Amino acid sequence: MNPALRGRSVVDMIEIEHLTKRYGKKTAVDDLSFTVKPGAVTGFLGPNGAGKSTTMRAIVGLDAPTSGVARVGGKHYSQFRSPLTEVGALLEAKSVHAGRSAYKHLLALAHTHAIPKRRVSEVIDVVGLSDVAGKRVGGFSLGMGQRLGIAVALLGDPAVLILDEPVNGLDPDGVRWIRELLKGLAAEGRTVFLSSHLMSELAQTAEHLVVVGQGRLLADTTVEDFIDGRGAGRVRVSSPDAAALAECLRGPGVSITSPQSGVLEIQGTEAAAVGQAAAAHGIVLHELRTDRGSLEDAFMEITADSVEYHQSKEGVSA
Amino acid sequence: MTTALMTENPAVYTPPAQYKLSAAGLLRGEWTKFWSLRSSWIVLVCAAVFGAGIAVAVAATYDGGIPPEAGLHPIDFTMVGVGLSAVFIAILGVLFITGEYSTGSIRSTMAAAPKRTGVLWAKAAVFGAIVFAMYATVVGATFLVTQVLLDGTDMGGVSLSDPDVLRVLAGGYVAATVYLGLLGLAVGAILRNSAGAIGFYIGVIIILPNLAGLLPWEWVGDITPYAPGNVANVLSTFDTAGTALSVGQAWLWMGIWTVFSFGLAAVLLKRRDV
Repeated sequence: MNPALRGRSVVDMIEIEHLTKRYGKKTAVDDLSFTVKPGAVTGFLGPNGAGKSTTMRAIVGLDAPTSGVARVGGKHYSQFRSPLTEVGALLEAKSVHAGRSAYKHLLALAHTHAIPKRRVSEVIDVVGLSDVAGKRVGGFSLGMGQRLGIAVALLGDPAVLILDEPVNGLDPDGVRWIRELLKGLAAEGRTVFLSSHLMSELAQTAEHLVVVGQGRLLADTTVEDFIDGRGAGRVRVSSPDAAALAECLRGPGVSITSPQSGVLEIQGTEAAAVGQAAAAHGIVLHELRTDRGSLEDAFMEITADSVEYHQSKEGVSA
Repeated sequence: MTTALMTENPAVYTPPAQYKLSAAGLLRGEWTKFWSLRSSWIVLVCAAVFGAGIAVAVAATYDGGIPPEAGLHPIDFTMVGVGLSAVFIAILGVLFITGEYSTGSIRSTMAAAPKRTGVLWAKAAVFGAIVFAMYATVVGATFLVTQVLLDGTDMGGVSLSDPDVLRVLAGGYVAATVYLGLLGLAVGAILRNSAGAIGFYIGVIIILPNLAGLLPWEWVGDITPYAPGNVANVLSTFDTAGTALSVGQAWLWMGIWTVFSFGLAAVLLKRRDV
């Protein structure tokens, strides 16, 4: 065991066990179980209303689960003697009194944990709000509000970071900045858990993915496996003699579709095998490539099963 | 894959150990929150100007027109504005907590103090202390200034050592205002909505017991002195011979309503989602 580990009774893992949350008749989270491990960025992916925000609120004790538990490092969040150093959370961008300055908002939170003013200035610098820290938050843009929320999350220099849609409202520079920031924090051994309904965003930041739809777990895997396992291995080939090629390729486990004439999409085989078969039969190929699929495709494919979502997009806010 | 990655790179992060959540920290936090809002300053200044301003205005223009048969004590006469200004304080108490709900800052607050009730006690302590300090000053200064202005009239010459004067000033105007401010804070914590809580305070706490007096049933009149907004009235009354509550009972009922309202607020704060 790593010596540093012994200082902390349990590694700061987020554990969600059979979490269910109902608001009246609406079930926001439905028997959800997964864990988020330290040392990596874990993405929490799902369409709006999938229960991501509810789950995150349950982790920091703002919403009480209808059943099941959400724990951090083996404890319920309210048991921590120093919550801000255990978990830093960005929940909704507007979690600040509009009439208060960014500095005073952070200072008031810092006082609760005896965090020095020096640290307040430090996080203001980190998120790039030094010029406006004394201004009332009511005048902040969405992106500035988001940066302030990130400053709040970082304030206690916490072991676990939970960020709900942190990219919302950030400009491209900001997006790149937060991506690097989060990767850096994870590399220090922290647990970083961020939600997004933008699949492309998580593909570039996260190593691990937890995918939810309608409050249920759809996938808990690495980003790579997620893409590979879904909509992948699809070979696209175009040939003037597509029909003959299709005949040569038919076999068990191979499915062939023709989206347009002269083009085949083949699943269950490799591009090399297609090329071999074409050469063996003297069939001319104009194009041969493998569609690796994107996280977007994989996500659309997996959530397409949640038919109800397409019918009713409203529901509990994400 | 993640597991392999972790064994290769066994960075284990240990958060700073010197930062701890404490009751003293919550008090400092709430103190900072209170003074960092412009609305706090505005309402406090309004209350002071309204209370002391009316007192100075009536004292400076008084020409001895009130007949002694009216039974009006000089303190009743000069402190009327101070008594009315308590409504500003109650509304400020409401806003001190409902403002957190309307802006969403309650989420940051409760994420930092997930046991929640500590925040309520800290808010009550900070707000109560601020109102106490301010009203002790305003009432004291108003008394001194008005007595100087009224010197030589039949309303002048009142001393703090005169019967009941100190009791009325400290109890009926300072402590009663602290009580009403805290009542506003508790109502705000229970209802969580600014308009709803202010409406409830003015409609149910202030107006309803007075309207109830118009009702024909005797029992209504018997219970209205015990209503949360009325129990402190005895404290500012000089002649308590005919009042329903004694001074001691008034203090007791202020305690009962404070415990009840904050108890309910604390239970709801624990039970409800933020």
